[in-house]
Amino acid sequence: MHIGLQHYLAVSMLLFCLGLLGVILRRNLLVIYMSLELMLNAANLALVSFSRFNNKLDGQVLVFFIITVAAAEVAVGLALIVALYRKRQSAHVEDLTSMKL
Amino acid sequence: MNMSLIGLEISVIGLGLVLMLADLFMPAERRKFVGYAGIAALGAMLLFSFADVGTCSIAGTAFNGSFINDGISLFFKRFFILAAILVLFIAAEFSDRFAVGSVAEYYSLVVFALAGMLFAASANDFVMLFVSIELITITFYVLVSFQRSKLASLEAGVKYLILGALSSSFMIFGIALIWGTTGELNFTKLAAVAPQFETSKIFLLGVLLVLVGLGFKIAAFPFQIWAPDVYQGAPTPTTAFLAIGSKAAGFVLLLRFLFTAVPSVTMHWGKLLIILSGITILYGNLCALPQRNIKRLLGYSSIAHAGYLLLGVAALNAAGQTAILYYLAGYLFTVLAAFLVIALVLRHLDTDDISGLAGLGQRSPLLAATMTISMVSLAGIPPLAGFFGKFLLLKSVVEAAQATGNQGYYCLVFTALAGVVMSLYYYFGVVRMIYWSKEPSDMSPIALSPAAKLTAWICIMGIFWLGLFPNSVLVLAGEAAKALGK
Repeated sequence: MHIGLQHYLAVSMLLFCLGLLGVILRRNLLVIYMSLELMLNAANLALVSFSRFNNKLDGQVLVFFIITVAAAEVAVGLALIVALYRKRQSAHVEDLTSMKL
Repeated sequence: MNMSLIGLEISVIGLGLVLMLADLFMPAERRKFVGYAGIAALGAMLLFSFADVGTCSIAGTAFNGSFINDGISLFFKRFFILAAILVLFIAAEFSDRFAVGSVAEYYSLVVFALAGMLFAASANDFVMLFVSIELITITFYVLVSFQRSKLASLEAGVKYLILGALSSSFMIFGIALIWGTTGELNFTKLAAVAPQFETSKIFLLGVLLVLVGLGFKIAAFPFQIWAPDVYQGAPTPTTAFLAIGSKAAGFVLLLRFLFTAVPSVTMHWGKLLIILSGITILYGNLCALPQRNIKRLLGYSSIAHAGYLLLGVAALNAAGQTAILYYLAGYLFTVLAAFLVIALVLRHLDTDDISGLAGLGQRSPLLAATMTISMVSLAGIPPLAGFFGKFLLLKSVVEAAQATGNQGYYCLVFTALAGVVMSLYYYFGVVRMIYWSKEPSDMSPIALSPAAKLTAWICIMGIFWLGLFPNSVLVLAGEAAKALGK
């Protein structure tokens, strides 16, 4: 079987949807955060495969930007989650309810 | 490439680094005054951007077309610098609520967020759009949770983090799809090829996903979930910067994306924009009605104002774009006035309940007047800035209705007017609390520093000036909006 662009895109869509499901369904902040990274990497995969099959390099350059930004985001995000964990001794979304209507 | 095109951005980033270093060399109790140095530097940059000799006002592109200096970018750069100056004033007043000595760090983060906004104002391709929006958002994660000892602040930070990261992954996936189908990242080049992809489902999905990411920044329905919680939990100066800086950055990117990058698609999406705008106005105003927490109330009101601003986007004409710029300028002074008063009056109370403002009319007439003028302007009563802005937005929508014959536009006008009427109730609830509350518990006068008085006067003058003499800003806004249609 020949592996074409649509196969890569299907995998990328699948990863994106899995990540989205993880964000919606999981209750642990760290797992939610992992799912978010999965979604970003799904976009990276799409960019790289478009880049490969269209013979253009812009997409791969954008991937480097995304990886860098994601690293910064993870650094800040994990620091925040750790700070919250110290305060509440829990990293579950059910505990994030001090502000409601 | 002319490096001096990014002169403003370079100086702002340099200022951020200097403020951060000042943290090392200043004794903790004097770090509050670092902010005034920052304000002076930003003020100099603002003046420089108005001077004719300034190179930052030259039109041109840099970095292979990904960075553009034109009318609209210059308008927004001045706007963002002014907003950051006023936010630094509020932060200096608020500094005793932060951990000892950490305020210089806060100033530098505000300035870094400002750098992101300046880049956003000049973004002309998707890489710049993504990186600038992330620079703003990631800085705001820290700014929102800056009061680490306060659970509400941390909780707001985590909520903003999760939803912000979610929206940026939607946006980047959208960018991947747009680039994959068209092969262009640059807005100007994309506009040339976009018409031939109008029937491509993948391309349209990409445009929609990018709109999701930008909708999150401006807190438009249905991506507004985060706004009330984050507004309530964040430290007051952060909330102020979020309400004006982050929202305006979202709008400049939205305008560029819709009207420079994919204008051919946008012209067919009038209906979608009408619905978005209408629901956002209704949602914001209806949810604000029962609120007792003033910051949460302003959070919902900011959603409503995102809806009003979307009126100008939905109108799909140059008048609408001009009105958006003018409205944002008025909103700047109005909303910063409100948050200045909240920061000064409520910072020593445990709650942000509206009742904390009780008796303000006697405790501090200046602050009471500032808050009243701000609320009246937000509600849209003549002759203040908010009235004229809303008038221009509605006028542009009526023009669009006459030009296209689309009945949806008339429905939108009525929705917006209904929203304005609803908003009178909660804005005047605040004014009533200030002057006519039953039994104010604390009647001690509030001592104001000269800087706080100055900020309050700047905001009051700004609101009146924009309302009474709108012409000069309107001319600037009109010039700026011309850059979009090219």
